[in-house]
Amino acid sequence: MKALAEGHNVSPEIIEKLRKPIVVAGLCLAWELVVRGMQVNPLLFPAFSDVVMHLAAGLGLGGSGELWGYIWDTLRVLLQAYAISVALAIFMTGLAVGNRWAREVLSVMTGIFQPLPSIALLPMAILWFGFSQESLIFVVVMSMLWPIASSLTVGFATVSPTLVRLGQNYELSRISLVTTVLVPSALPMMIAGLKVGWGFGWRTIVAAELVFGATGGGGGIGWFINNSRLFMNVADGFAGIMLVIIIGLATESLFIALQRLTTQRWGTETA
Amino acid sequence: MATAANRAARFEQLSPGEPLVTIRDASIAYSTRGRAATLAVDSVSIDIRKGEKFVILGPSGCGKSTLLTAIGGFIPLTSGSIKIDGEPVGSPSMDRIMVFQDFGQLLPWRTVLGNVTWGIRRRFPKMSRSEAQARARECIALVGLDRQSPQYPNTLSGGQKQRCALARAFAVAPALLLMDEPFGALDAINRERMQAELNRMLMEGARGMTVIFVTHDVNEAVHLGDRIMVMSRGPGRVRALIDNPHVGSPLFHADAMPLAAELRELLKDTENTVS
Repeated sequence: MKALAEGHNVSPEIIEKLRKPIVVAGLCLAWELVVRGMQVNPLLFPAFSDVVMHLAAGLGLGGSGELWGYIWDTLRVLLQAYAISVALAIFMTGLAVGNRWAREVLSVMTGIFQPLPSIALLPMAILWFGFSQESLIFVVVMSMLWPIASSLTVGFATVSPTLVRLGQNYELSRISLVTTVLVPSALPMMIAGLKVGWGFGWRTIVAAELVFGATGGGGGIGWFINNSRLFMNVADGFAGIMLVIIIGLATESLFIALQRLTTQRWGTETA
Repeated sequence: MATAANRAARFEQLSPGEPLVTIRDASIAYSTRGRAATLAVDSVSIDIRKGEKFVILGPSGCGKSTLLTAIGGFIPLTSGSIKIDGEPVGSPSMDRIMVFQDFGQLLPWRTVLGNVTWGIRRRFPKMSRSEAQARARECIALVGLDRQSPQYPNTLSGGQKQRCALARAFAVAPALLLMDEPFGALDAINRERMQAELNRMLMEGARGMTVIFVTHDVNEAVHLGDRIMVMSRGPGRVRALIDNPHVGSPLFHADAMPLAAELRELLKDTENTVS
């Protein structure tokens, strides 16, 4: 084995780096071969190459490029909900830092809503807001808000008392103590919370759109996936699923890049 | 800011030997919720002279750090008074810079140079960025960290972090430098190295500053302090106040050994009174 590696002049580091791409490529190849080789009905499970073709077409490579519209529909709702959640979380955490009752209320609310998959609130949201964007935003906010708020609270609660004293020693005002000491100190937990919150929201919105699609609403990638099933464009549906995965991975790596630029460089990472 | 500058100016007018810090019957009690208050510092009275290096020596738990923290203005007294140049101590100020034992006293998101420059810009807001950086580089060179100045604190050793904290404190030029066992968390070799260098660093970086240094290390106290105040434990009281003729002599110098032995005995006695 060793002799083989030396003979081909492949260093262990290169193998290490290639391991993941090789596994991914292997899985795709297996998908393709199994579907083609066992002659699976493409209306039930299309081959990998078909799905890729449909995805490319959907993104405008030799096709309509209709997927961009759906992506934008989903992301627009998600970004709105994200902004609302972050603002609410900062507001609630701010109250909780200064007041024990507010802290208890936040902790109880977080305890209640964390374990509840917020998609379970969608029927109620439809009852209150109808088949509208507000319903979507409501359930997505309910999925994002609590993890963000609780990690913000933990972040502020674990700021080193020495750094707070340092801030007092250098005569920082309350506001500049928050901006120059507390927020950067809490940043590792903040980024972690934003990442988890985004992940929850992303799952929730796709699920919510599936329900909307089934009842004849409109818009979004989830709706597109469900519609593809209705019209038996199964390869399109798979392309939609693949897109959901790709976007999820892309935002994940955005957060990782943010961590590399800040907390990793400072050595203040928690996990 | 203006008042701080005025106060600093008035410190300069005091001649050496005049008391700068006047502590009278200072007591500090901690009250944990629901439990009876424990007395950490019990009616301590002492004058600390301008320009001297004053060491507070005591076993752990004798309230020496608590007293220092109160001089810094971080915690209130339960009774008694601490006055600096005749004025009661208020909230913490840049006139009294504290160097903590905790390595985490540097801002992790600023480099060594960034940390020192931050302190300077807080203290002298009108100073230009380049001027502040030049001053920061001087202080960093003084503590021997030149090569580490572009590094973030997480890449520094414990000793290097404390050097950086010292450089930042020097750069701010406080009237009073408060040091709370700054080498207490270092390993033995690094601690001795820092102790051996501290006198030089104080000579060059803290000229004219009054230094109050808290420690439980007898050799550190003898090496460093013009005067040494020994505290006893449970509750913290002044046990002895000693003029130290051996200040500045090399660590473990033979002439200083009798005094060190005497101090060690005093510390042992204070241990016994507890149990």
